[in-house]
Amino acid sequence: MIDKDYQISRQVTYRSMVWLLAAQLVVMLPFAFNLPVWLVPVMLAATYWRIRVIKGHSAQPKFLVRMFVIALGVAGILASGMTLLSLNTMVSFLLLGFAFKSLEVVRQRDALVVVFIGYFLVAISFLFSQSILAGAYGIFSLIILTAALIANQQSSTQQLSQHSTRSSLSTSALMLLQCLPLMVLVFVLMPRFSPLWVIPSFESHAKTGVGDSMAPGDIANLSKSDELAFRVTFSDRKPAADELYWRGLVLNNFDGVTWQQLEEKYDTHDLKTELLYKQPWDQANMELLGEPLPYEAIYEKTGQPWLFTLTPTTEVKGKVFRLGDYRVMSRSDIQSTFMMKATSYPDTKRDIKLTDYSREQALQLPNSGNPKSREMAKKWHTEAGSDQAYIDKVLAHYNQQDYYYTLRPPLLGNSDTIDKFLFESLKGFCSHYSGSFVFLMRAAGIPARIVVGYLGGEWNKTGDYLSVRQYDAHAWTEVWLADKGWVRIDPTSMVAPSRVEGGLEAAVEYEGSFLEDQLFSVRQFEWLDGIREKMDAIQYGWKRWILGYDKDSQANLLKMILDKLSSIPLAALVGILFLGIFLLWFVMLGLMSRRSYEAYEHRLYRKFCKRMEKRGIKREPKQTATEFALLASRKLPEKSDAILSFSLLYQSVCYEPNGNDNSENSLKQMRQLLRQIA
Amino acid sequence: MFSVKDFVTKRFPRAREQTLSQKTIFIVPSKISLGLMVIIILLFLLGINFQNSLVYVVCFWLIALLVINILYTYRNIAGLTIKAIGAEPCFAGEKMVLELEVSRPVNQRKSAIYFGWKDEDLVELNLQEQQSTRIKLSHSTKDRGRFSPPRIDIFTRYPTGLTTAWSYAAVDMDAIVYPEPIENTNQVDKRGAGDETDEGVEIAGGSSDFAGVRQYQAGDSPRHIHWGQFAKTGDLYTKSFVDYESHEAWLDWEMLSISGVEPRLSHLSAMVLQFNNEQRQFGLRIPGKVIEPSSGESHKVRCLTALALYNLPAKGEAHDR
Repeated sequence: MIDKDYQISRQVTYRSMVWLLAAQLVVMLPFAFNLPVWLVPVMLAATYWRIRVIKGHSAQPKFLVRMFVIALGVAGILASGMTLLSLNTMVSFLLLGFAFKSLEVVRQRDALVVVFIGYFLVAISFLFSQSILAGAYGIFSLIILTAALIANQQSSTQQLSQHSTRSSLSTSALMLLQCLPLMVLVFVLMPRFSPLWVIPSFESHAKTGVGDSMAPGDIANLSKSDELAFRVTFSDRKPAADELYWRGLVLNNFDGVTWQQLEEKYDTHDLKTELLYKQPWDQANMELLGEPLPYEAIYEKTGQPWLFTLTPTTEVKGKVFRLGDYRVMSRSDIQSTFMMKATSYPDTKRDIKLTDYSREQALQLPNSGNPKSREMAKKWHTEAGSDQAYIDKVLAHYNQQDYYYTLRPPLLGNSDTIDKFLFESLKGFCSHYSGSFVFLMRAAGIPARIVVGYLGGEWNKTGDYLSVRQYDAHAWTEVWLADKGWVRIDPTSMVAPSRVEGGLEAAVEYEGSFLEDQLFSVRQFEWLDGIREKMDAIQYGWKRWILGYDKDSQANLLKMILDKLSSIPLAALVGILFLGIFLLWFVMLGLMSRRSYEAYEHRLYRKFCKRMEKRGIKREPKQTATEFALLASRKLPEKSDAILSFSLLYQSVCYEPNGNDNSENSLKQMRQLLRQIA
Repeated sequence: MFSVKDFVTKRFPRAREQTLSQKTIFIVPSKISLGLMVIIILLFLLGINFQNSLVYVVCFWLIALLVINILYTYRNIAGLTIKAIGAEPCFAGEKMVLELEVSRPVNQRKSAIYFGWKDEDLVELNLQEQQSTRIKLSHSTKDRGRFSPPRIDIFTRYPTGLTTAWSYAAVDMDAIVYPEPIENTNQVDKRGAGDETDEGVEIAGGSSDFAGVRQYQAGDSPRHIHWGQFAKTGDLYTKSFVDYESHEAWLDWEMLSISGVEPRLSHLSAMVLQFNNEQRQFGLRIPGKVIEPSSGESHKVRCLTALALYNLPAKGEAHDR
């Protein structure tokens, strides 16, 4: 109703512009890590330009100039080789628009629009990173943006006062803090929906974690990282250390050097189709045995679809699918923290019958190469008589010969790697042992395959959850026996039993190579362990309760609350909570009592005036207190003394606040006089 | 039938002093806040589609901000006490100036509150350190008489600009609007409007007109000593002077040869100004009122007020136009 009718100067003030530019820089900063680097100087240039404009060194850019600059930016984005409809491109465009929008800001309204887009970009930045640090920075950005909003409303006169910067900043922080309870309540209660449509995915440059193929030494590289892979909570019982084989990928195809999943290399999408077609999940082909093991896992962003589960997984919740080789995969690449609930029966007999396709896959070997190993396998298999005896013999071989478990295996070249390992170097990491073991099995005609994943993990102090890190990456094998189905065999455990029980750190302790390249890894400082542990617990809480808060967590939480407060219906509870928040706000903002904040002397004087009015003596607004007192004393001669001294006291309290040492006393006297007058 | 106008009039009775409270404050989201609502909806969709909790957090935080902002804007305007101090008179067609004293509750600072009338004046008010301040608002006038300033719009968008809180103050303070001074050219003889007295009264001890010579008395100004006579006689003589009081003028309604009430009043208004400028003594005679001849600012004001209120009902009846 108001904008059009009043001629107010609604121009953005200098100080408000400075706030706006500062807020812009704060908002744009985190994107510098994820988007083309050249956007940074462009954004800075736009800011610099605007500062020159407000200082009067440059003119406001004309329409054509703006169009030209924007066209340049668009061309730049397209030239950076980004796909047109990907999220990265859209965000780049948005940032570019955001950076140049400030050049257009002239009126207060424009500034508001800039701040709104800023809010949007803060949220967008969380699509790239959801770490605690990113969260904290996001809150900081929100405070600065809101402060810019407030500074924008302050008039130029008010901004001249020294406190204005502090006041807009502290008002903003205070407002957002007071918003917190309502925000949390809405966050907890707002119904969560499934995605409404297919979203463009990020072009992920970085893929981390276990790769989709394995050459000797691959996993050793992974062991140099102490980054988190995933965390697991077990709701029922905790499995033993040797049960914690987190299955991720099954590698069947061996080309002489490298193990990979299928004969050809597919991109992720085709691979999924291929796997689903060739190895569909078949619940009937297994026999459930043993106790169920329910758990909940939160996977870190990897840019890949692999999920790591105990096997076989009988029940699973989340955007995932299962395959005939008993692994679980995410439907899309994991671009942000991913949560999954599952139940496993670790003792189950898997693949009662082996399909022809699986058998063919599990027996595949290259036509030539590694002659010594092939020969030995055939010889030993005949000698042993049965498959089981042969397996035992091979495992005993690893155990009794001079095999070393090491993170620093020697290079094996590009051919006959198995022979070189088994007969020459004898030093290797899990990939060497599992690779050579599967080779020996297949060469003897026993179906076998490599499984890549993680082994073990670290329980936090209170034992609530298990953290699995990159250095827990491991490769082991599975062998199919007619009476037992797929059996897990870990040849590495023959060489380094401590790898299973004590983790990698214990297994390579003699060598001192654990995380040796990570100069600044906290793992190297024992005295930091306590802090690390706490940080880890905070991280876990953050991921479990904030990032992983979804439909199920919501349902569980509400159920838990309602169980405890069975007598109160949910609607009433929610109502009470909302009411409580509003009451809190009223108290905080001092809106509860109307006049109580007026100084006491004014309240007394107001009372005095009211009493006089009752006697027909009305104070005209232009009358001073003295004039009014004189008038009143003339009209009420019998009270004139009290009236005059009351008025004198009032004025002395009001106008000589420092000259009057005992204002307490004066107030008391005023009160008494007022009683006399009445 | 419910009428907004009646409702507002009833809610905001004219008063010398009023304090804005929840009964008299209206709050609406400002137009620009629709932009933020669009952003909030977009963020909600984004949160759903990416299943991203932190996007939800930003979304809900903005919702909470929008809600708490209502209270902040309300607080910025609530408790403001507006007291009418005075209204400066003016001539019809000019702007009258209303002076208000605005004070705030002790512990609530006020920022960026606007006072004004549509298409008229708008004043921004900040009460940071000081407890109260005086502001002047001007409003154009059309007719002579008593001018009751219309309800003052008071509004604020502080702190974020997302909501507008507004209220009205109907001040019980009238401004006197004098008739527009238009000298009427039909009135050929300007002085004809007043009948001048022919004989002026001498005022002894004046300094302009020479009246004669008399014996020197102690205290006489040396400037007035008749040095010629002194040279002749050796005695001191003083030249004495008299002032003639200017001719007293009467501005008389009946003597005007102008038709129509307002033109007459306008002419008289112009004459009052002219006589006052010439520092003449003049009296005013209009039907129902006679003001004896005198001079000075207060006399001028008395005359102009009489002209302004000519033939108007007494104060109080003219209200609520």
